[in-house]
Amino acid sequence: MKLNRTSFSAVAVLLASVALPGMSHATVTVLGWPGGSEETALRATVEAYNGQSGVTDADKVELLFFNRDGFFDKLQADMAAGSDAFDVNLVATYSIGRYAPYMEPVDLGADAGKVFGESVLKTMQFDGKQYGVPTDLSLHFMYYRKDLVDALMQDDAAKKKYAEIAKEHLGKDLQPKDPDSWTWDDWAATTLYFSKQVNSESPVRYGTVLQMKNLLFNMMVFQSLPRSYGADWMDKEGNVTVDSDAYKTGLELYKKLYDAGASPKDSLSYEYAETNAAYGSGQAATALQWNAAAADLTNAEKTPAVASVTGIVAPPAGPDGRADHIHGLGLGLNKNAKNKEGAVKFLKWLATEDAALLYARNGGSPALAPDVVAKVSKERPDLVKLGEFASKYGYVMNGATSAKALSVYELQAKEFTGYWAGQQNLEDALAHTKAGMQDLLKK
Amino acid sequence: MAIVKRAEGRAYLTPLVGFLLFFLGFPAAVNLVYSISTVSFETLRSPTLSGFGNYAAVLADREFWGAVSFSMRFGTLTALAECLIGLFLAVFLTPLLAKRSYLMAPLMLPLMVAPAMIGLMYRLVLHEFAGPVPYYLFEWFGDSPAFLDVDNAFRTLLVVEILQWTPFAFLLFYMAYAAIPLEVREAASLDGASALKALWWIELPLMLPTLVIAFFIRFIDGFRVFDNVYALTGSGAGGSATSLSIYIYQAFFKGGAIGKAVAASVVLFLASLAVLYGLNWITGRRRR
Repeated sequence: MKLNRTSFSAVAVLLASVALPGMSHATVTVLGWPGGSEETALRATVEAYNGQSGVTDADKVELLFFNRDGFFDKLQADMAAGSDAFDVNLVATYSIGRYAPYMEPVDLGADAGKVFGESVLKTMQFDGKQYGVPTDLSLHFMYYRKDLVDALMQDDAAKKKYAEIAKEHLGKDLQPKDPDSWTWDDWAATTLYFSKQVNSESPVRYGTVLQMKNLLFNMMVFQSLPRSYGADWMDKEGNVTVDSDAYKTGLELYKKLYDAGASPKDSLSYEYAETNAAYGSGQAATALQWNAAAADLTNAEKTPAVASVTGIVAPPAGPDGRADHIHGLGLGLNKNAKNKEGAVKFLKWLATEDAALLYARNGGSPALAPDVVAKVSKERPDLVKLGEFASKYGYVMNGATSAKALSVYELQAKEFTGYWAGQQNLEDALAHTKAGMQDLLKK
Repeated sequence: MAIVKRAEGRAYLTPLVGFLLFFLGFPAAVNLVYSISTVSFETLRSPTLSGFGNYAAVLADREFWGAVSFSMRFGTLTALAECLIGLFLAVFLTPLLAKRSYLMAPLMLPLMVAPAMIGLMYRLVLHEFAGPVPYYLFEWFGDSPAFLDVDNAFRTLLVVEILQWTPFAFLLFYMAYAAIPLEVREAASLDGASALKALWWIELPLMLPTLVIAFFIRFIDGFRVFDNVYALTGSGAGGSATSLSIYIYQAFFKGGAIGKAVAASVVLFLASLAVLYGLNWITGRRRR
């Protein structure tokens, strides 16, 4: 009996020695965006937070990551099931409405506006309430080959050929221009000129790389084109306006370029990674791509073929000027959090200038107010461009933060790619999209 | 006298039956309730019964029938091709494998790879700027087809599936072919039957149960395909590569139409049950 008691005590001591250090570890669990620069930046920022003397053991932060594939679906299932496995979770502009029922608004304090600017804070708001700290902003850059465009601008024979192609395929009298003053027609003429199928003398195989896979994120890339022609999901009265002339113009231009061979034949299966590979191979003259690709496409080690000759401008202009889709990733408070107090404390710290600068210096892409971004402009010149494009051209479609926003993108992806693939005509594609959007966006 | 008494048998079986009832029966029951309910992610724990509207919505949905058509074509064509190629390989490689059985290992390798990984692998292999296949096609012929455009995606997906799963059919047929008693072959040979006649009139009939079972297993697997198709093409341009499993996934997670998705899964379950009963009936009839 005595032996048993001794054994029992020994086992208890052993278990306690194993369990107690675990308990003293982080008790604020943060579910972040896995992989890429966002994870690297968050890890470094959290390490700095945990190292602060004022942060007690009970409020230290532990990070949790799972795969990007199906991330938002898994998150939805977890949150709907009332999971308390994490206190702070990732949220994106286009999914705030979907997750708001399972989250709690958070007061970030008055200084957050000075760090990020009100328009960026709005990317994390739903029904007028702040649901998260904006950590990363995503928008699109027009990447182009400076060497090819410069050569075109300096060669009279090439200019003549360019004008002929523009007249034949677009029915317009156009001359080569500096990419920063491109309209969508100028860009289209350039992509046709640099496509072997249209111009056998082109030094590269394709003029552009269109992301046309049936995937919701590709619709975000595409929609800046119709937006610059005045497109919106809904008008002020809440009527769905996807069947507008602006959308028709954008959809037709994509199809025209794809059919003419200005984009790779497999573009209907292309998304982010394929686009980087195609442009990075040196066989495409332009690519409308996410800003996150800038680090790789301008890095000579990662993309030796084009890094030194890649220029970046905002997307081309339409009759309504330039437009650049923006959405933010951020971190917000899970309604079922086990340590709400610690979680709020962390979120408030994350919204301070020091934390935002730390996040930026470690590879994150926060959109910061001009006087704040100036402090990291030497290390992160791309953040200056990010902030500039976001403030000048950034937009969010009317309805794009609603609970069904992701489903709207899914619907558009299916219908629009069906049109581009020649499976249905434009009128049918827009009629199906309109009917579906009316159903999804009805109050 | 029975080796195991009835009561003992029940005692042995109870844990297994309990396990099956809990882990298969409970989700099935929840599925059935959801399929006749109005339910969303917000109301997962409190669905409202609403009759058979979800079934009506599924059966009236042109995309559902498109997905059924895709799955039927995909399942039938891949099962047929895998069985025919597997049979061919089994008959022609048996003499070789009898002497060098270690060759079986590399032939089985494709089965070891997860279907999602196969999808990702071919996404890379077929990519015009990163993949070896288009690279050599451009080198040799100056052009490469669009493997994943809307015209070719179905054929590409078929080939990818067939390349991965033919070894499974081959393995079954090889075992069945090798199990045919030597005396039967010798007797046929003594009676003057040619190799082709022996194959057609003796070996194939003896292998028929395995052929049928392999075909149905491969058909079911092809019919419910998800991973490699989704990794390669998503649901395809305009939804052209939407299998029934992808349809259910999209309706559930992407569209948030939980009742409709679950109703479609019940329809898939009933269809699978019908196929299995059909299989059972065929094998049962042969035994009689």
